[in-house]
Amino acid sequence: MLKEMVEKKATSLPCDSTTMTNYFSEDHPDEEKWADCVHCGMCLEACPTYLITGQEQHSPRGRVHLIKSVAEGKLNLNEAFADPVFQCLDCRACTTACPADVDVGGLIEEARGQVRKAMPLTGWKGVVSSFFLKGLFPHQKRMGAVGGMLKFYQQSGVQKLMRGSRALQIMPSHLSGMEAIMPEVGSPVQQKYKDVDVIPAKGTPKARVAMLTGCIMDVMFSDINQSTINVLTYNDNEVTVPKNQTCCGALHVHAGDRDTGRKLAKQNIEAFENDEKVVVNAAGCGCALKEYPELFKDDPHWRKRAEAFSEKVQDISKYLYDTGYEKPKSSIDKKITYHDACHLAHGQGVRHEPRQMLKDIPGIDYTEMSRADTCCGSAGIYNLTHPEMAKAVLDEKMKHVPEDVEMISMGNPGCMLQMAMGVQKYGRRSDIVHTVQLLDWAYQKDQKSTVHQGKE
Amino acid sequence: MLKRKKNKREGMDPHIRSLMKIVGEKEILYKPEDLLSYDCDGFTVHKAMPKAVVFPENTEEVSAIVRYCHMNNLPFLARGAGTGLSGGAIPLNNEVIISMVKMKKMLHVDLENRQAVVQPGFVNLKLTHSISDKGYYYAPDPSSQYVCTIGGNVAENAGGAHCLKYGVTTNHILGLEVVLPDGEVIELGEAGVPDRPGYDLMGLLTGSEGTLGIVTTITVRILKSPQGKQTVLAYFDQVEDGSRAVSDIISAGIVPAALEMMDKTAIEGVEAGTYPVGHPPDIEALLLIEVDGILAGLEEQVEHILEVCRKRNVREVKVASSEEERGRWWANRKTGFGAMGAISPDYLVQDGVIPRSRLPEVLQNIYDISRTSGLRIANIFHAGDGNLHPLILFDSRVPGETEKALKAGTECLKACADVGGSITGEHGVGIEKKEEMRFIFTEEELEAQMRIREVFNPYDLLNKGKLFPTPSRCMDVKKIVKETVAVK
Repeated sequence: MLKEMVEKKATSLPCDSTTMTNYFSEDHPDEEKWADCVHCGMCLEACPTYLITGQEQHSPRGRVHLIKSVAEGKLNLNEAFADPVFQCLDCRACTTACPADVDVGGLIEEARGQVRKAMPLTGWKGVVSSFFLKGLFPHQKRMGAVGGMLKFYQQSGVQKLMRGSRALQIMPSHLSGMEAIMPEVGSPVQQKYKDVDVIPAKGTPKARVAMLTGCIMDVMFSDINQSTINVLTYNDNEVTVPKNQTCCGALHVHAGDRDTGRKLAKQNIEAFENDEKVVVNAAGCGCALKEYPELFKDDPHWRKRAEAFSEKVQDISKYLYDTGYEKPKSSIDKKITYHDACHLAHGQGVRHEPRQMLKDIPGIDYTEMSRADTCCGSAGIYNLTHPEMAKAVLDEKMKHVPEDVEMISMGNPGCMLQMAMGVQKYGRRSDIVHTVQLLDWAYQKDQKSTVHQGKE
Repeated sequence: MLKRKKNKREGMDPHIRSLMKIVGEKEILYKPEDLLSYDCDGFTVHKAMPKAVVFPENTEEVSAIVRYCHMNNLPFLARGAGTGLSGGAIPLNNEVIISMVKMKKMLHVDLENRQAVVQPGFVNLKLTHSISDKGYYYAPDPSSQYVCTIGGNVAENAGGAHCLKYGVTTNHILGLEVVLPDGEVIELGEAGVPDRPGYDLMGLLTGSEGTLGIVTTITVRILKSPQGKQTVLAYFDQVEDGSRAVSDIISAGIVPAALEMMDKTAIEGVEAGTYPVGHPPDIEALLLIEVDGILAGLEEQVEHILEVCRKRNVREVKVASSEEERGRWWANRKTGFGAMGAISPDYLVQDGVIPRSRLPEVLQNIYDISRTSGLRIANIFHAGDGNLHPLILFDSRVPGETEKALKAGTECLKACADVGGSITGEHGVGIEKKEEMRFIFTEEELEAQMRIREVFNPYDLLNKGKLFPTPSRCMDVKKIVKETVAVK
């Protein structure tokens, strides 16, 4: 009887096809990546888009299932496939939740590359996307010019005028929301140090590190770049700012433009070729740099160089934690919580280090936020491409942010903008800061007081 | 633009249009691409496409959907998180899937009477999370508790690591609101009344694998969190020593909250997964033993356990020194199934139950099956209640290997049934084990159970083709599966 039953079962089996049927032959999603997924579903509750929609195709295992289905010829590279694949925040929370370590993020990025090859963006979306991704972010000078314009906008009174008029009200709400929280534009460190080869350490140098300045970071958050330099030199590191570096390409890879991603990666790999350590203060960029080898699966030469490069990359908090930093003596008397940037916590496994940094600053009253490592909805330019979902994710996030904190600290510029919108929307009074800024401020206080003491 | 939209609607399947009217335009999926992710649950051997997936938000909507399906002769079934391991939520007959995930509220907590009322889509572990600060918890803890829904737990009568001491889901259900297969809404059980006269319909519904009705509200028992917990990890050089230790612990009069076992292959899997603990790679078996309760006496129980393990030639045995360490041991165990993905592209998990004392011989049988089939089998299971989980590792890309795995799985269950055991402890029968029901029931016994189903579900529209191996129907079902697959 047993034999008979087994035979019966066997005849009803679906036959699995394992060709890459509906993908382009180059750079398609890696079969080995989905082979580890056994469809157990442990990722579901970690996925922000699943929690909001309740729909399997917007869950990590659902997306993996669809990516696999294209290879099996059950699905085409069309809009119905593109929607769930692009609806993903690429927050990597599923990678943390997955018992088998399935690289869902990597699969999503590969799938996006395939979708964009099959159906390039057209119309205004295509124009906007290529304007920002190809025409702007990779070009330091142009970014600098935009920074100048924004600075003019803010300082000339135009911003005041705009805010006073109704002009902002006719913009889509997510855009006027962004205008409202736009940080004050300072001077890019790239320009400031353009004639300096090595920024000296405070004391006897113990190491020399190269810094990635980032494209948006250096325009919108140049003060954070400055803080990063300050904190590094304060702890006896010499800092270099390699000239030929460019945008990390994370946004391009997220958007499926892997060719531009590769181009930028090559430029950065070359720019940092002679450096031993590359320190990054933007979680999204750091994660992208570390994942450069993924872009060169079919190119052994560049893959090797990318691997060597990615080994050198470290987040600023991790670098300081590993090499040691001076604990500040001056206090910052603030109630602070910490938000885990997805690409720091899930992408790079850095959770403890920045928290420890905060706790090492005297006076800080630290409160842990519940579900601190859930996405805020920023996700690169997701809040521009999927404003509705980004808003829903942010609303969910804000439920977990303690109401009475004076500052919310984090390690990624995208999150900073998004969280600032959340704070504004919910009428909270918390300032958004980068973790490294707090350390810098405390050091500055230390320096002031020693100068002061010296005078006495 | 508007006109085109209207035309689209006109071409639409009238059933879809009617269902849309019930749940709203956004709460239904019906395009093939959107339905693809619903072609299986946690059991991936069989796949079939549903007709539609609807997302009701309250009992009235569930009832309306069910009534519509009933009136129009449309097969339908309920689905929770879709983590089931026996295929209970796979739409073999092109069903309308009623997804319960939008009904995910906790409705009420009554600490005084130690009960909570939840909607079926409420996630198991969230219940414990939301009452733990008050010193309470919900006992049934299937390994998928991070994501699985309590509604699904009721359907499958889910168990878990701590069911050895506290019992399975059915022991924790105090009341149910159920939508019957014709759309009628009934209530079973009464809050605060532990045992009502008359037939135990609640018991009948719990574990009926979604074939008798769809639960829409669940009242569960919640327990006071134990004052203390102690967790022991023991490494053995011989599987036999490990399994003898299991029996010894229970016969010594200790009732551990959990008593779990993993063998060498399983350990290889969990150590390759996301939550490695650092178990030595060369041990043959490990036991994870937890005792809980009032603090007085806990130490004594632990001492007793250590003593038993030593008598059985344990290589190393240790007690968790912190809550963090305990947490790591459990995360390693609870994500064990998924972690097998790290050492094998596919696996088939079996769920046999045997009398505890037969553990050494049945495990030996399983190793024999592994040898003859040429497939690796990992054992990671609830040893304390004799609930085995042989995980048969295979690669579906290798022609013939899936069939081999299925055959090995069936043989494992036969081995369990042969020593007076059962073919499922907690994962349910679903599609996977319906043929094996014959191992433990006679034709008459099966017939009697099917008659009960007919009382509730006379037209067999609700989750048809699951649980029982009716010969003729079985053939029909298989034909349908084959056809659906062929279409894809």
